[in-house]
Amino acid sequence: MIWIEILSRHRDIAARFRIPGPEARIGRGYDNDVILDDPYVAAQHLRVFRDETGQLVAEDLGSANGMFLDGDKSRLARVVIDGKQPIRIGQTFLRVRETGHAVERERVATPERPMVPILLALVLGLTIVIVEELDVWLGQTAEPRISLYLTPLLGVGLIVLVWVGGWALLCRILSGRSHFLRNLLIALAGVLAFSLYNEFGRFAGFAWTWPLAASYEYVALWSILAGVCFFHLRQVGQRRLVLKGVVVATLLATAIAVQTLQRSEAFSDSGRQFTARRLLPPEFRLVPLRDENAFFGEIENLKAKLDADRRQARPDEAGR
Amino acid sequence: MTVSAARIAGALGLLVAIAAIDGAARAAPDVPSAAEGIYASAPPRLLQIRTLVADAGRQTSIGSGFLVSADGLAITNYHVVSQVALEPKTYRLEYAAADGSHGEVTLLGVDLPNDLAIVRLDKHDAPFFAFDKAAMDGSIPKGERLYSMGNPLDLGFTIIEGTYNGLAAHSYNDRIHFTGALNPGMSGGPTVTADGLVVGINVATRRGGQLISFLVPARFAADLLQRVREHEVGQDLHAEIARQLAAWRSGLYKSFGDDGFRAAAMGPYQAPETVSPWFDCWAQTNASATPKPRASVNTTTCSSDTSLFVAADLNTGTIQVNHSYVKSIDLNQFQFATLLTQLSQPRLVGGGPFRKWYTPERCNEDFVSTALAADHPPLRVIWCAQAYREFEGLYDVALIAVTQDHGSEALVSRMSLQAVGYDDAIALGKRFLEAVKAGK
Repeated sequence: MIWIEILSRHRDIAARFRIPGPEARIGRGYDNDVILDDPYVAAQHLRVFRDETGQLVAEDLGSANGMFLDGDKSRLARVVIDGKQPIRIGQTFLRVRETGHAVERERVATPERPMVPILLALVLGLTIVIVEELDVWLGQTAEPRISLYLTPLLGVGLIVLVWVGGWALLCRILSGRSHFLRNLLIALAGVLAFSLYNEFGRFAGFAWTWPLAASYEYVALWSILAGVCFFHLRQVGQRRLVLKGVVVATLLATAIAVQTLQRSEAFSDSGRQFTARRLLPPEFRLVPLRDENAFFGEIENLKAKLDADRRQARPDEAGR
Repeated sequence: MTVSAARIAGALGLLVAIAAIDGAARAAPDVPSAAEGIYASAPPRLLQIRTLVADAGRQTSIGSGFLVSADGLAITNYHVVSQVALEPKTYRLEYAAADGSHGEVTLLGVDLPNDLAIVRLDKHDAPFFAFDKAAMDGSIPKGERLYSMGNPLDLGFTIIEGTYNGLAAHSYNDRIHFTGALNPGMSGGPTVTADGLVVGINVATRRGGQLISFLVPARFAADLLQRVREHEVGQDLHAEIARQLAAWRSGLYKSFGDDGFRAAAMGPYQAPETVSPWFDCWAQTNASATPKPRASVNTTTCSSDTSLFVAADLNTGTIQVNHSYVKSIDLNQFQFATLLTQLSQPRLVGGGPFRKWYTPERCNEDFVSTALAADHPPLRVIWCAQAYREFEGLYDVALIAVTQDHGSEALVSRMSLQAVGYDDAIALGKRFLEAVKAGK
């Protein structure tokens, strides 16, 4: 007895045929055991039989388009069946298995849903909510309003849901399983990373008088987004990880470059820095006080920069 | 004082709609004849000065002017001819006299601080206006009747009555306070006594006031005339404008620095307040705000009356000193810091469009200690500056200091200096920071 399995483009099983005899014929014609409606398949394309040593063998019956092993470009007239490697004829992938083909052990069913990832998702979600709400609360200087607390939650919640839904759908289409929980974990980790970075940038800008962390926040945002995308892509399929990494890294570099360019253009249009100056309670200062003279020394150095800006802005002055 | 940049007529502010309020004085029987007499002799020496786009030959702005010599020299406002002074290749000047004659005008000299300009007409042996002796030494009595002439809104030459009210208070540059309806287009026209002698030159009106107008005292015009005759005014007008700006600002900031600061109590802090008389100070509080504020903010703002017209889109030279004493009512320390963040943004706003006049802002921010003494609180200081593209050695600077000794009360002090020399700004900045103290 032989089993013929027709596979989809993603090598999932689309149909399975049980051939009771010792030989199976495959083709587009109605005299075959397995009929394929693929216009690139010959009327009599493939014969599967047991050779003199008892091995199952697939043989091309003289088709125009030939027979190939999946992922291989060399045309073969005869293939020894191993039960694993799919065969391509025309545009159809198929796999031949014997009754004795060894299958994996059954998975042990856990009685409930897996607790660890669910817990992890809950913890991540809760941390995000806490950070966001703290941010709103500590930034509130006027009359407290409930809507101010709800709006960011709703926004972030919706975005995460749509994002994760999209990736889950993609996973489902391309790999058969949606992996919703894993995709959710990846997205939540990304959101949390960004909101923590945000807080860090604000803290660094005040405590160490180090505004770069906040002004290059967009670099962090794009990097985190790229990381998240990469892990989602990994969920979609484990294959071609290097290619995926390269694609994501290229997009990341492009996004950062474009935004940097945009910023510098906006800066030369408005002359205003993007730095958001934020104050925190005085106890958060981590650097010693500067001496007044040292501070004004630095300010004197700014003059050279301003004058250089001026010369750059007016290259035509000499000809005036 | 507002020197407006209205496209029509350069400067005379916003009183367009109320030009008709001149009624009461008409009752006296002798006044109309005085005005009639003055106006009858005015036409050949009273001018409309037009700025034209050189290529198109159409006017872009109009003002007034008047002859002051037999050889064709005339006085007008700088802001009437500023386009020609700054961009002589794009614009040119023309005059039309009240007697119907017209012709080309050459710009000879300007006086930026007093908003005056001298032009030459191709007109010889015409009658001209003489300056009033009493006006030159400032001995005109308040309430004397004056007559202002010009061509408001291009509606034709007009004579307007008003009264002399001495020099305007709180003004850095001397300006005569004239109670009369000056309108756009009359800028640069003469204001004369009943004898027809020039007391001042129409220059501006106050927005939001009624009949509050300002004149440049005649002595500045006489000085400028003298300087032009002696060729003391440079030929390269752009360089001359830069030179006058530099001289004016160094005088202004020297005077500001010499007057110095006095300590004003704000809560437990002492804030430096300027002593110069040409500042206008106002206080502001949010105590009565609705909804009830969560931190009390009491602010005093002192602005100098030193705005200088450089171009239609550039007024500069204003100094502002601003202190806010902020005390939390029910804000926690983080929320309070957020409020301070809002109050301490640099907002380095120049008096003109950025790309045309300024270089990008450069800022520096740090924790600063002005002294080890206990009465000097630690400060978070932000310094932002930008240079002027057109004028070397001229900068706009904003200096903000936030006291860092308490989590729930603070003094936010701000000093904005427009068109300042960099070294002047640093010296003033140091003094300003050192004068921020804690404890009474």
